[in-house]
Amino acid sequence: MAGSKVKQDMPPPGGYAPFDYKRNLPKRGFSGYSMFGFGIAIMAFGYWRLFKWNRERRRLLIEELEARIALMPLMQAENDRRTLRMLRENLEEEAIIMKDVPGWKVGETVFHTDRWVTPLSEELFNLRPREELLHKRFGFVWYT
Amino acid sequence: MPTTLEVPTLQELKVDEISVSSAVLKAAAHHYGCQCDKPNKEFMLCRWEEKDPRKCLQEGRKVNECALNFFRQIKGNCAESFTEYWTCLDYSKSAELRRCRKQQQAFDSCVLDKLGWERPELGDLSKVTKVSTSRPLPENPYHSRPRPEPNPPIEAKLEPAKHGSRLFFWNW
Amino acid sequence: MLPTIMNYIINPLALIIPILLAVALLTLLERKIIGYMQLRKGPNIVGPYGLLQPIADGLKLFVKEPILPSTSSQILFILSPMLALTLALTLWAPLPLPSPAADLNLNILFILALSSLTVYSLLGSGWASNSKYALIGALRAVAQTISYEVTLGLLLLCIIILSGGFNLETFNVTQENMWLILPSWPLAAMWYVSTLAETNRSPFDLTEGESELVSGFNVEYAGGPFALFFLAEYANILLMNTLSVILFLGSSNTLFSPELMTTNLMTKTALLSILFLWVRASYPRFRYDQLMHLTWKSFLPLTLAMVIWHLALPIALTGLPPQL
Repeated sequence: MAGSKVKQDMPPPGGYAPFDYKRNLPKRGFSGYSMFGFGIAIMAFGYWRLFKWNRERRRLLIEELEARIALMPLMQAENDRRTLRMLRENLEEEAIIMKDVPGWKVGETVFHTDRWVTPLSEELFNLRPREELLHKRFGFVWYT
Repeated sequence: MPTTLEVPTLQELKVDEISVSSAVLKAAAHHYGCQCDKPNKEFMLCRWEEKDPRKCLQEGRKVNECALNFFRQIKGNCAESFTEYWTCLDYSKSAELRRCRKQQQAFDSCVLDKLGWERPELGDLSKVTKVSTSRPLPENPYHSRPRPEPNPPIEAKLEPAKHGSRLFFWNW
Repeated sequence: MLPTIMNYIINPLALIIPILLAVALLTLLERKIIGYMQLRKGPNIVGPYGLLQPIADGLKLFVKEPILPSTSSQILFILSPMLALTLALTLWAPLPLPSPAADLNLNILFILALSSLTVYSLLGSGWASNSKYALIGALRAVAQTISYEVTLGLLLLCIIILSGGFNLETFNVTQENMWLILPSWPLAAMWYVSTLAETNRSPFDLTEGESELVSGFNVEYAGGPFALFFLAEYANILLMNTLSVILFLGSSNTLFSPELMTTNLMTKTALLSILFLWVRASYPRFRYDQLMHLTWKSFLPLTLAMVIWHLALPIALTGLPPQL
């Protein structure tokens, strides 16, 4: 078998040129470390701004609360007077309503004490239209 | 011992009320707290000590008087800048003071010029204050009954129980 | 009479109709965007640029015969899609756009509570269908939703600490100077992924895994009830994005004028929604165990650490917001 005439399909002498079979991810953008540092820097900056603003917000809240502190005596005095006035009106109304009942003492309290008992709003508004009670209850609700 | 409720007559309760809206009150609040400090603190002390609104009507009257006077002074001297200030406050949802710094500055400087009032520093109004008052300290504001007599000391000789503690098994 | 009508009919409708319109156009946007990403055109026949397509779709769905499988639990079968849409619409009430329809002090807790209720509509529909595919799909969807809710809740806790209140309007105040996404971008990233999972969107849309699960919990639905589910799902997507904007992207700091606040908020919401669609067009679906590992083994420990961090840091640096 002195060399067949068939030409075997073979690689070129010296073999194929080396080709790139390795995974090739081109490096682009910042390096991982620098991106990490960048993120941390943004966070630090953010916290700084946020905390500054939060402290400012606390000051603002104190200011708002002080406005209320300043106004509280005025409101309290007015509210006391209003309550007493309503109680007085109620007593007068009671005297008119219950005048036919023998032995009825006008303004007899249900409590076994003579200390001041803050009246319930139902008690105050009992002889008035229901809208007024509702308005008192739900007219100004700061939150739900 | 059912007692009758004592309520002062309407005549006694009649005071010139301050009929202004919330924004006006809030706009004036800091200066008001500074200027009417004395009657305010007096009233609050009375209210705290007496625990009874009926006994503090005089003090309340003083509070109202002072406030009325205060607002009259503002109206007489700084009506324009004040109106601007509180209308600005009225615009924002919860009448936030920080939205109206410019108007506030104008109002403050006007008040300082005309009336010599200075805006209190942040935190001044929430300080604890002492009030010197001539009103006597109320006795027994809670109307509490006298305390019962303490149990008399036992005269007899005290001996340990005959069969030991009944809580023998639960001797915590 | 008139105030009653205003209160109970017109006012809710003034909120509901824009939401439903937005949902309808979101479906169109989704089809368009995914179409262009795959070099197709998307719907372009019905109306100009296909703008009437969602209306045509809705009409078709509601005109179709609603199938009621004879072996199903009929009441629950009808009730659960209704529950889904009702919840999805109710969730919009406490959102400040710019001021909430229901001004609750504990807005966020309300939203959390209601959004966890949506699980029942999934579960109910899956069980009531009396089909094992629907049931299995429902179970998987429910497990996924519940798992990711844990992370969402913990993330919310961190942001609540930073802004000092459960009311969504306090977030607006907090972010007047700066968006919260800056200091807490790791939270924001986890939040966004969790909202993807919470609304059952791809790459977490195992409930719709067509080949594996024949469309999940709603296989047996057709026509009107199906449309209700569909609307609820997209309303939830929009809601979650609005919430993300309110929490992280500072809906209130308007550049020019406060009148534009709603526009500002909704523009950002639209951008986030487009990001949702982009994600859907780009990423393959997660495997179920990977999905569970992501939340329980990565997000949960991370968020727990974040809670501690966000508690410790403001306290240490006296940066706590005012608490009233």
